[in-house]
Amino acid sequence: MIPGGDFHPLLFALTAAWVLACGIGVVAFRSIVRSAVSMVLCFVGVAGIYALLYAPLLAIIQLLIYVGAISVVIIYAIMLTPAQSGDMRLFFNRQSLFALPLAIATALLLIFVLVTSAIPGVTSKAHGVSLKTLSDLLFNQYVFPFELVSFVLLAAVIGAIVLARREESP
Amino acid sequence: MSAVDWYLALATALFCIGAYGVLARRNVVLVVMSLELMLNAVNIALVAFATFIPASRAVDASKGQLFVLFVIAIAAAEVTVGLAIVIANYRTKRNVQADRFDEMKG
Repeated sequence: MIPGGDFHPLLFALTAAWVLACGIGVVAFRSIVRSAVSMVLCFVGVAGIYALLYAPLLAIIQLLIYVGAISVVIIYAIMLTPAQSGDMRLFFNRQSLFALPLAIATALLLIFVLVTSAIPGVTSKAHGVSLKTLSDLLFNQYVFPFELVSFVLLAAVIGAIVLARREESP
Repeated sequence: MSAVDWYLALATALFCIGAYGVLARRNVVLVVMSLELMLNAVNIALVAFATFIPASRAVDASKGQLFVLFVIAIAAAEVTVGLAIVIANYRTKRNVQADRFDEMKG
């Protein structure tokens, strides 16, 4: 049973507006705690986008990993570092005047490429992926990368502990 | 514009918002958060391509979603190590501002 169906313009527009509004909130809020809350809401919106793309497994993993785990790590980092206060130049660096035109120019370039190029082999009808096909691939053909990722995560955990551990005074 | 174009436009917009955050903000924790936004944008583009290909190529679509799983796992590793570096640097230098991370400048 493969999930699939049509493109829902209204649901997409609502979810995309949610994601973009929260994304702008992340980079625009002065308080970093507000940015973090905005980021969590943005991740929830991205999970909604995955659900609209008929990828329910990815939507659940997005909620578990990003909303559940990565957000907690980032909020811990916010708690362990001092919050800034003061005027605007403390929040944006000296290059920020160039950053906005650069970001807009990149967006325009990518949109231009998107509009002018015909992407071959895409359909207007959405086709999801059955969980069986996905797990077959993950645990047969891609089992070595899967195990490698677990090793990378182990190395990252050990590295994070070594880096962030408080040095014992002699 | 077809359906996949709308999703790619959303991914483009989110990517550039994240890029602006990486370039303009000073707090390193916020730079890491903006990086996560960029990674999410790339994931949206990958899933959009995986969803809007013909049903006869279901295995290819699965590979697209599988790649997103790997990206999410690597992003978790990246954010863990990145924030550990930020906290270690704050312990020694009392600094979380990106433009003062210049110990390795030649």
